[in-house]
Amino acid sequence: MSNEESRKTGVHRWSYREGTMVTAAILLLGFALQAASGGIVLRIAGFPWNMLAGLAFLGLLILVFVIRPKHSIVKGLGSVKAALPAILGFTFLVLLMGFVKQDVEPKNTLVKLFGLTHLVKTWPFILINLYLMILLGIITIKRLTPFNFKNAGFFLNHFGLFLVLFSTTLGSSDMQRLTMNCYENQTESHAVDASGKMIEMPFSIKLVNFSIDEFRPKVTIVDNKSGQIVLNKGKAQLEMMDRDSFTIASYHIKVEQFLESSGKSEDFYIKKNESGSAPSAKVTVNNPTDKTEISGWIFSGSYSKPPEMLQLNESFSLAMLPPEPQKFSSELNIQTKTGKNRSTVIEVNMPYSIEGWTIYQTNYNTEMGRWSNLSVLELVRDPWLPLVYMGIFLMMAGAAFLFITGKPKNGGIEHVA
Amino acid sequence: MWLDFPIYASAAFVCWLAASGLFLSSGKKMLNQLAAGFSFAGIAFLLVFITILWTHIHRPPMRTLGETRLWYAIFLSGIGLVSYLRWKYKWLVSYSLGLAMVFLIINLQHPETYDKTLMPALQSPWFIPHVIVYIFAYAMLGASSLVALRNLFFAPTEKTIKGPIQMADNLVYLGFSFLTLGLLFGALWAKDAWGHYWTWDPKETWAFITWMFYLVYIHYRFRHANEHKKAMAVLAVSFAVLLICWFGVNYLPSAENSVHVYSE
Repeated sequence: MSNEESRKTGVHRWSYREGTMVTAAILLLGFALQAASGGIVLRIAGFPWNMLAGLAFLGLLILVFVIRPKHSIVKGLGSVKAALPAILGFTFLVLLMGFVKQDVEPKNTLVKLFGLTHLVKTWPFILINLYLMILLGIITIKRLTPFNFKNAGFFLNHFGLFLVLFSTTLGSSDMQRLTMNCYENQTESHAVDASGKMIEMPFSIKLVNFSIDEFRPKVTIVDNKSGQIVLNKGKAQLEMMDRDSFTIASYHIKVEQFLESSGKSEDFYIKKNESGSAPSAKVTVNNPTDKTEISGWIFSGSYSKPPEMLQLNESFSLAMLPPEPQKFSSELNIQTKTGKNRSTVIEVNMPYSIEGWTIYQTNYNTEMGRWSNLSVLELVRDPWLPLVYMGIFLMMAGAAFLFITGKPKNGGIEHVA
Repeated sequence: MWLDFPIYASAAFVCWLAASGLFLSSGKKMLNQLAAGFSFAGIAFLLVFITILWTHIHRPPMRTLGETRLWYAIFLSGIGLVSYLRWKYKWLVSYSLGLAMVFLIINLQHPETYDKTLMPALQSPWFIPHVIVYIFAYAMLGASSLVALRNLFFAPTEKTIKGPIQMADNLVYLGFSFLTLGLLFGALWAKDAWGHYWTWDPKETWAFITWMFYLVYIHYRFRHANEHKKAMAVLAVSFAVLLICWFGVNYLPSAENSVHVYSE
């Protein structure tokens, strides 16, 4: 598409005029196509069409370079005069994404028409990506022929970025992200995608055990009338119950007894470890202003048991907040259709991979907290990932080159990162 | 813990004020060395504080904005000092100390309650490298924008600009390499934590925009070695974008549900 725009101007060396015109034409064409198609959500074709298109694209790039390496358009596309407007054009689209909230229902017709709430899946975004790939592809081949070690940094940065754009764009439709709800001691072999479609997996998962480690709970001061947490300069005053005594909003608090997991028995709390148990503490609160001392129990409450606060005076009470999760994990038993049987424990930041799928711990029944018998897993398949990682690692090596060699000397003709 | 912060911050502040004064007022070698010593002493006070804080809260102090500002003050002053020792630009070290002091004042104005909890998504070996590499990049690029502002407003002649502009380039190349690493570390971490390396979360979007702006600077400088003023303007604007990415995102309506808004 870019070649049509530039052919008329393509007989001489490119200036920023040509570069800017091509980028502007691509953006305009993109938005026009988007509007003409009624603001649809674009999807790249899946396997094998994306792979064939990718190979054809690579073939064309190389072919153009073999046949007409000195053509003014090829030279122009491989110059900073094309690169800078292209970078700015792409930046413009990403800036739009930075200001317009993404992945929500469009609020007005213009936003809907140009697809501004899902920009990544629109014509202008995909076209400018394609254009950047053409530029990066041409400049990479240009620097590679003939090969010179001094161009290694340049190659790593530009080809690395090319690979990342190439594999993420083409691979986007082959990526599957599914959600699976697993209940304790039950076996599940189905997951749902974002549209709610049920999909049968090549394996079944049995949730053997779901568990949560919690931080010590925090205490705070609550207003008796409103029931709200009292703010000081806009911030809640919170203290974690990991010490025997501390001060909160001028009240001195002494922890007489702390129970990690407890339940009520008459008018005090005892150790309990059954569904609905939660932390409690017996505290003595000293108020230095009116020299009063109050003693009593506070309880964080759970999905089935009400919390208990300690009233300090007419205006305020001391409350224990529900503890925050420190770690949550699922013990899984996975049975594949090919006959493999694996036992593993997954947690946030520690997924498990099997048969091309990666299993992530994402959620649980947050209302039930540590007594949740539900574990929500995310199942991800991304066959293009190795190519993406290769691009990322090339770019990392390129960044190391930038760090070591710094700014190119002599106008950057040689030794360019 | 944060309760003692005013003591350490004031000590660092006084040291840096003395250092800046000495750097700017005297030409004597002895006094310059003394100034360098004061700069280092200020950094040392903050390092001691952050070490105590780290051991006290049982987690890396890199989660809240206040914590990142503290690291920024340390890195920026460190970069100023090292660049002075290396290139002998007294104005840069003074500006860096000045900007670091601004960040200390912001932290003093917004006292933090020290929060010990760290959500599971942040408990990863990537956490420390991701944040440190980023804040280091920010400090490098912050220093480069100080050079840019000086070149824009206190316009040295074409003859004398060569030194400062080379320094801006050096800082940008170092900063940009760290910025790239921070971005890519983030992508690798995101894959482990959220199942995808890039989701165009608002913070990611703005980090990418920041990266693109510095990319523009690098490509512009590459082909237009003599257009100093325009290049410096690009550099100054880039830092404004960086600040939006760092702090501004928390206030953008487009970022209400960002997974990166952890506090404040």
